[in-house]
Amino acid sequence: MRIACPFCGERENGEFTYLGDAKPKRPFVAVIEDGKGAEGEQDAFYEYVYLRDNVAGEMSEYWYHGGGCRSWLVVKRNTLTHEILSVAAAPGTGAAVVDVAMAKAGTE
Amino acid sequence: MVDFVWNVRSPLQQAVMPGRAGAIVPFAGVKLAEIRDFDLVQIFARRGQREATAKAVKKHYGVDAPAPRQAVSAKGATLIWSGPDQLMALSARKPGTFRPVDALRESFEGIASLSDQSDGRCLIRMSGLQARAMLAKLTSVDLHDSVFPVGTAATTSIDHTAVNLWRSENSEDGSPVFNVLVFSSFADSIWHTIVDAAAEYGIEIETRSAASV
Repeated sequence: MRIACPFCGERENGEFTYLGDAKPKRPFVAVIEDGKGAEGEQDAFYEYVYLRDNVAGEMSEYWYHGGGCRSWLVVKRNTLTHEILSVAAAPGTGAAVVDVAMAKAGTE
Repeated sequence: MVDFVWNVRSPLQQAVMPGRAGAIVPFAGVKLAEIRDFDLVQIFARRGQREATAKAVKKHYGVDAPAPRQAVSAKGATLIWSGPDQLMALSARKPGTFRPVDALRESFEGIASLSDQSDGRCLIRMSGLQARAMLAKLTSVDLHDSVFPVGTAATTSIDHTAVNLWRSENSEDGSPVFNVLVFSSFADSIWHTIVDAAAEYGIEIETRSAASV
């Protein structure tokens, strides 16, 4: 399997490290004065930390190009065929990504 | 207080033995050189400062900052792309200069972070008619002329060791010249890996000062 790093080009998968599902988002927790969590907060965190879908098909995953440019990437991959559908820099991973966002914002 | 003598020596001092190595053949297929006495500064654009950093590079070095996967020659320095928004500036060490970032500080003030890597890396140059065949054993990066022409740079791994690999101008016999920057502590290991890979082609080994390259 090869991954086309948006910065380096196509590289062997030995240069990459797999983190896992890119879908889960850290639950937002508002600070509450009495020190108690919001309703359902623990369940949300439990789900975020432990529960993962076992996807048979297309999945978004985090991969780290540690053997290359050291960028975090979001790879859309078919877990049945290993076909890679898209590769993009993970949001917020570096100045380049922010620049792209800024450039887009400037044109809108 | 007693003053001590501090001798500067390369991390490859013991590994690199100038002369011939490997197969006994009339002409060495691979020429290896450890380039010493260089200054190396990493220039890393701060968030949102990529354009400003590119302008500062142009102003300081007189050439455009290297595009992704490129290395460019500038006045007294080689600029090597090393990842998104970052590059390495490689130059011969100036006698009496201990802090190469000092000369860059003003140009990149507030827009890029500078980090002196001079003694943190070793520089190995590989050339000869079999250099590409030898490197093909060590890296999965395609080094064919059509995809890796002169001036191409890659941030990759050789033998699980992070390296900056780039190609400079062909040598006089027309054979390609590849350069590898490797962390000093891994240099010995990677040197032996390279020598093992090159052994079958015959090797000619030398050390050179960056000023003479």
